[in-house]
Parts: sequence; C-alpha cells; structure tokens
Amino acid sequence: MNISNDLKKTCNRYRKELFEKFLEVGQGHPGSVFSMTEIAVTLFHKSFIRFDELKNSFKDKIIVSKGHATVSLYPILRDFGVIKNQEWENWGKKGKDSILRVFGNTSIPGIDATSGSLGHGLGIGCGMAYLYKKKNLDKKVYVIISEGELYEGSTWEALLFASHHKLTNLTVVIDENSLIILGKTDDCLKLDPILKKIQGFDFDVSQVNGHDLNELENAFNKKTEGTNIVLAKTVKGKGFSIMENKAHWHYWNSLNPEEIEICRKEIGQ
Amino acid sequence: MKLQRDVFLDEINKQLEIDKDIYVMSADFGAAALDYTREKFKDNFIHCGISEQAMFDIATGLALEEKKVLTYAMGPFISLRALEQIKCGPAMMSLPMTILSVGIGLGYADAGPTHYATEDYACLRAVGGTTIYTASDNNIAIEIAKNTFKDKSLNYVRLDRHPTDEVNFKPNQYDFNDGFRIFGDCSENKFAIISHGRILKNCLKSLKQLENNFFLVDLFRSKPISKNLINLLKNVKKIIVVDEQTQYGNLTTAVQSELSNNNLFPQVKNLSLPDEYIFQNGGRDFLLQKYNLDEDSILNFCKKIL
Repeated sequence: MNISNDLKKTCNRYRKELFEKFLEVGQGHPGSVFSMTEIAVTLFHKSFIRFDELKNSFKDKIIVSKGHATVSLYPILRDFGVIKNQEWENWGKKGKDSILRVFGNTSIPGIDATSGSLGHGLGIGCGMAYLYKKKNLDKKVYVIISEGELYEGSTWEALLFASHHKLTNLTVVIDENSLIILGKTDDCLKLDPILKKIQGFDFDVSQVNGHDLNELENAFNKKTEGTNIVLAKTVKGKGFSIMENKAHWHYWNSLNPEEIEICRKEIGQ
Repeated sequence: MKLQRDVFLDEINKQLEIDKDIYVMSADFGAAALDYTREKFKDNFIHCGISEQAMFDIATGLALEEKKVLTYAMGPFISLRALEQIKCGPAMMSLPMTILSVGIGLGYADAGPTHYATEDYACLRAVGGTTIYTASDNNIAIEIAKNTFKDKSLNYVRLDRHPTDEVNFKPNQYDFNDGFRIFGDCSENKFAIISHGRILKNCLKSLKQLENNFFLVDLFRSKPISKNLINLLKNVKKIIVVDEQTQYGNLTTAVQSELSNNNLFPQVKNLSLPDEYIFQNGGRDFLLQKYNLDEDSILNFCKKIL
C-alpha cells in the first residue's frame, strides 16, 4: 500500500499521474476526474471506505455514478493494491493490454457498479444500502453523482427511496462544478436552488468546498438521521488553468508541447 | 379461473417460504397473490413507487449483492419506460433477475396505446443476454415461475392480463428446457404455425380444422430459440408466425433470424398487428378481428396458403 498522511500531496500526485495517463490514453474526461479528486481521496485515505487488508478488498461500497470520472479511482485502487500496478502501467500503452477503461465496469477490481450512463448509480446505491440496513450489516455505501445527474428523473426517484427508507448508511456526494457539456447549468437549464430542492426531502445536507479535505472529512463524519447528502462545490478541471471551469474540458483535448509544459509546471513537475 | 400473474406469484410465494434471498419489487402494480406476498413476506417486498426506472436501479443494487430479484409492473411501463436501466443494470453487469411484465399485446384494451405492450418483445429481445418467456396458459406460467431463479439469467417474463384457457398439455409431454410445446403431428412436409401467449388459442381452431396439414408450436421461450425447434422446422412446407405485436422485431423476425442463422430459408408468413398505434375502442377481441388475428381470420389465412 502506498498511503501518505499528507493528503494534499496525495491529491497532487494523483493529478500528476492522471494527467500523464490522459496524455497516453488520448481520451477521457479530465474536467470531471479532477473535480472529484479530493472527494475520492478523502473517502479512501481517511478510511470512510474501509479497507480489509486480509481480503484485499473494501468493506464499504463506492459507486461513481458519474461514470466518466471513475478513472479518478484507478490510482487510488492501485495504491491500495486492489488494481495491479501492471494494469495501471499498461493502460494507454500501445500494444499492451489492460483491464482499465475510460468508463469503469465491474470487471475492474474495486469498481462496485458499471456506470457511464447518468442517473443510475444512486438507485443502485439505494438497493445496496437498503439491503445492508435490513440485514443490520455494518457496511456503508458512498455514491458520487454529478450535478448534471440531477437532470435525470431516476436520480430524484432514488432520492425519494433513500428518504422514505431513511438510509443512514448511504452518503451521496453531489459534485457541483456548475458545468455540463454545453456550458453552465445556469444557462443551459437551471438546476438551482439545488440545496433547497434536496432539503425538501428532509435530508440533512452539508454544503462544502469540494477541494477542502477538512470540510469533506467533517461532512462525511456528520451523524445524520437519514441519508447524508454532501453538496460539494468544485471546480471542473481543478489544478490545471487550461482546464479549470472550461466546459469543453469535459472531454480530453489535444495539447501542444507548450500547454503540456504549463500543465506540468502547475502541478509541480 | 386464476390469472396468470396470480399463479406465477403463488409459485414465487412458495419459494419465498424457504428462500429469503428472493426480493419482489413492484412499481405500484398489484395482484391478489402479491397482496399475500406483501402481508406474509414484508421484508422481501419493496414498493418502489411509480418509478420503473429507479426500480431497476435499486434491483440492480440488490442483485449485485447476489439477491434474487423479481421486478413487477404493467407491460408497457416495465419494458419501454425502463429499457435503459435494464440494459445498464442487470444486462450489462450479467446479473440474474426476473422481469415480470403483465398485459402484453392489446391486453389493456380499451385503455389505448399508452397501455398496450405491442413492441415490448422487440425491445427486450434487443437487450443483450435476455431470456424471453411468454405464457400461453397458467400451466406454462407456473413452469416458468418454477424455473425463473434456477437458470440465473435475465428473464423477461410476459404474462397476459386476462384469464387464459388451459391448452390441455401435460407437463411430461414436453421438455421445459426446449422452450416449446408441439400441438398436432409434426412429421415432414407440413405447415407450421408458431405463436406464443394468449393468441395461441386463436390458432387452435386452424389446427383442429386443418390438422392433416398443420401443426402448432407454442414457443413459450422465444429467446433463445431451441436448436431442437430449428431441426423440427427443417422440413416444413411453410411457416406462419402469429404474434400480438407490431411487425418490426416481433416473433416472426426472431424465428426468421434463427432459421437464417442455421442456413434455412423456408417461406415465413407474418400475422401481427400493424405498424401504428391503435386508438379505436371495441375491446381486445374486436381489435384482433379487425387486424386479422382472430380464430377465423387465422383459419382463412391458413386455408389460403395450403
């Protein structure tokens, strides 16, 4: 296991590694991956998602419902030894095979649900959490959704279910970077006030800076009477000025050598 | 006479007595037998609201934890409304699940096309890895229920809304694993009528009057189609497929496709609903007559092709 106590440095290391990997793979969704880096790091490295070393697997479940950002978990899962280093190394290299994909699926160790089409992950998480609650199992479920998934009706259907059954073992993180593919959510089709809408379900909602590790940790530690909802305000493409808050960086774009150099400098290479 | 859904769920209730890994989920669709499930097996019944999409996502979460899940709703809604959830959940993750769909074809006449499941077969057939069953009577509905959690596949089970006449077929006269039952003499150089579901009974009149020339296949498992059936169809003169679905992607195309995969190209005639949405009132049997799917129309069609 390659676990550091300095989680800010860990986040930075993952951004560096993922940036280099995007260059190799030549595709993917860096804007969304980098917006949830701190969220994923806090969940895994602060042991909200508990690791069983004997079984080399996690006791709790994580579903990245915004499946285009599942890639953000790969270096973490590699560091825990769940994904073999060779799989990570091979990914994106010509002539080499790897189980890793731009969208995660259940054939990849540590990926608990196949995702990619938006709006499914919360319902899946609800099913798991419902079962654990009914069976009194000490297992938790963390679902990361994008705010864009609030456009999907099935997300609201699942919220109804979570609220009705008071799924206290379920935490939903809404990664709110205010951008979807065609622009700002406010311009495309307004989602606000998200907080009020979610509170309307009688959920206890925390609003946090999604890049502040302490705020995230406090929100995940919060004792709630129902499902714990964390509204994490984030920056799409966080860490790279070329990408930050730019809708077109939802997808990977080719970079010229100067731009690559700028990116590398910004993350300290 | 009991409804297909009741005999099916009665069988599931029997299984629930000994298997607490079974979960029954409903998107607010009922049945007398389901009332019993809700009362007797409270911990194994989940009401999902009128939310077919979430029902499948939640069911996927349960299935990922190795539970045996049955999802239940009215045919048009459990199929098309939640098609992508079925694809991305149980189908894509290869999870066993039973999708119980009631009211196929024009079963909900005269509610109109919102309530007709006249293209559900095509849609679910296109989803990878599905096994599709259609019950023509209660006996076969019970057999499907007995087997549905055994095969660990994604089963789409199509039941009729209305009571269906038993077709007097004893269980030991066919092999459930073959997925079809034969009525009549299926020796060489005959005409074959293939159908499934309630409309099968409309084909029986043709069989009774033309039994020297025809035999009838109840294709209760239409995906995958058994190799044994294809072998049986090698030496038929012509095939008529009767289906209470619209033309594109219906049972006829399934039969033709399987024959073609086996390099067999007999003449296959399609008797089905038109490629349109039906708003006309008059009841199911009236509409079937209008679209030449009643007993006499099928008989006349068979006589013509003799």
